[in-house]
Amino acid sequence: METTATLEGSISETHMSAKMPIVHVRQLSVSYGGVKALKEISIDIPKNAVTSLIGPSGCGKSTFLRTLNRMNDRITGFRCDGTVEVAGVNVYAKKVDMLSLRRRVGMVFQKANPFPMSVYENVAIGPKMHYGTKGAELDQIVEDSLRAAAIWNEVKDDYKRKSGLSLSGGQQQRLCIARMLAVRPEVILMDEPCSALDPVSTAKIEDLVIELKADHTVVIVTHNLQQAERISDQTAFFMFGELVEYAKSDILFNDAARRETQDYVSGRFG
Amino acid sequence: MASLAKIVIPNEKALTTRDNSRESRSRISSYSLALVTFLTALLIVGIIGTIVWKGAPSLTWEFLSQSPKANMSAGGIWPMIRGSLLLMGGTLLAVLPAGILGGIFLAEYAGRGRLARLMHACVTSLAGTPSIVFGLFGLAVFVLLLKWKFCLLAGWLTLAVFSLPTVVLTTETAIRSVPDSLIEGALSLGLSKWQTMWKVVLPNAMPGILSGLILTTGRAAGEAPPILLTAGIYYSTSKFELNSGMLFQPIENLPYHLAEGYRQGGVIPDRIVWGTCLSLMLFVLLLNIGAVIFRSRMRWKQLQH
Repeated sequence: METTATLEGSISETHMSAKMPIVHVRQLSVSYGGVKALKEISIDIPKNAVTSLIGPSGCGKSTFLRTLNRMNDRITGFRCDGTVEVAGVNVYAKKVDMLSLRRRVGMVFQKANPFPMSVYENVAIGPKMHYGTKGAELDQIVEDSLRAAAIWNEVKDDYKRKSGLSLSGGQQQRLCIARMLAVRPEVILMDEPCSALDPVSTAKIEDLVIELKADHTVVIVTHNLQQAERISDQTAFFMFGELVEYAKSDILFNDAARRETQDYVSGRFG
Repeated sequence: MASLAKIVIPNEKALTTRDNSRESRSRISSYSLALVTFLTALLIVGIIGTIVWKGAPSLTWEFLSQSPKANMSAGGIWPMIRGSLLLMGGTLLAVLPAGILGGIFLAEYAGRGRLARLMHACVTSLAGTPSIVFGLFGLAVFVLLLKWKFCLLAGWLTLAVFSLPTVVLTTETAIRSVPDSLIEGALSLGLSKWQTMWKVVLPNAMPGILSGLILTTGRAAGEAPPILLTAGIYYSTSKFELNSGMLFQPIENLPYHLAEGYRQGGVIPDRIVWGTCLSLMLFVLLLNIGAVIFRSRMRWKQLQH
């Protein structure tokens, strides 16, 4: 299928030049034990913007997200072809430094997964392990990260004692965002980060995502179409492992070029 | 949507009519399960009850804190309790590093290939090997080959080898039960496999690992055969001193005392044998309770801070 690989026509020239692609994928095919999960995906994702990946369950959007930081490597039978470049790194090159790649490409998971340690330790572990940061500098990074993840005010009184696991679901997810921000990633991958949260917590995370794009590139998988429309600059629609359509969000949701996209966003299937 | 509705609703007849034969069969099986459970419980209560009934009268402070007197026919069993504690402590220290490293290896590094499955099968069968086999191994290697004679060190290492497979397996289970989401979280931060293991997986698995360790070595310290062939002594008249010299001395302990108590046929009064039996049971029981409390406290700490 000839997919719309870049945002041709949908984003103005000036817009494009300001937002150079930071994720550059060509002819990416992925299979698990011979079963194809992604078929020849080509896509450019611009810097400092929010990009949503939508599509029915099993369409490959999470698989795609996890190829960007090589989280699929742990799955037996995983195989991929094509090129994936993230922040200038050839992700599947033989000699790629996986640890530095994952430091530059952070990830937030569907289910909040704070470590069973204090809120402080949760955030501090990344900078400590990567840069050997300690003392006042580490304290500052932890505080900044908690502030950036909009959770500081809720935990500032006892964040050095309180376990990350004792927080509410929404707080845990923001703690995970803080933990990821503390290693200063350039690209943030979010795999349905709100699917287990109530509407109030979801709204907080959505606001946060919009704030984050000032300094980061956010790629978010979501089943919530309204959410994708609200927070993302452009949206990619996946189906059966193929990238069906990729356009600015208001165009994709209101004036999609392809029939399948129109059907999906209007709720006629999926 | 219409086709979906058809699929979801099962055979309506199956939901509305009572299936009598199936119900009575299920009733019979639940009754027989209850019966078996009851018989098992009866057996356990019977054993424990007998030991408590016969052993309790001799279980006094003097009995627990004094040495045997009058050619074993009176006095207490303190040297045996002390010996069992020593045996267990040393075993625990000896098995700890190898057991944990082995568990980490099986859980995270061995993979799922043929060799890994073979190793797993070996460890599992070793864990089920009778303790007398390990006793003979200890006798052959530590006592005879290394010429250490019967001594505490040989006992430690024999019990450690005996406990090792079980500790490896409980460690492996504890590590495998660490949620994958935590491991993914650590890896996604760019932590290396080793950092992930050290900072996230091990602390999380530690309550399970340590309680497995205590339970296993506690059980090992209650085993008579390995000690019988490597370290045990009926009664030592030389004065016990807690120093490096003790490593190459044989040592009194509860299971050996119990075994000898019957073998000697009447030298040790029944009262003392039953008391020793009860003490050994309480020894293992206290260790088990300790392990459970220890584990839940650690879990609680991780949750609450």
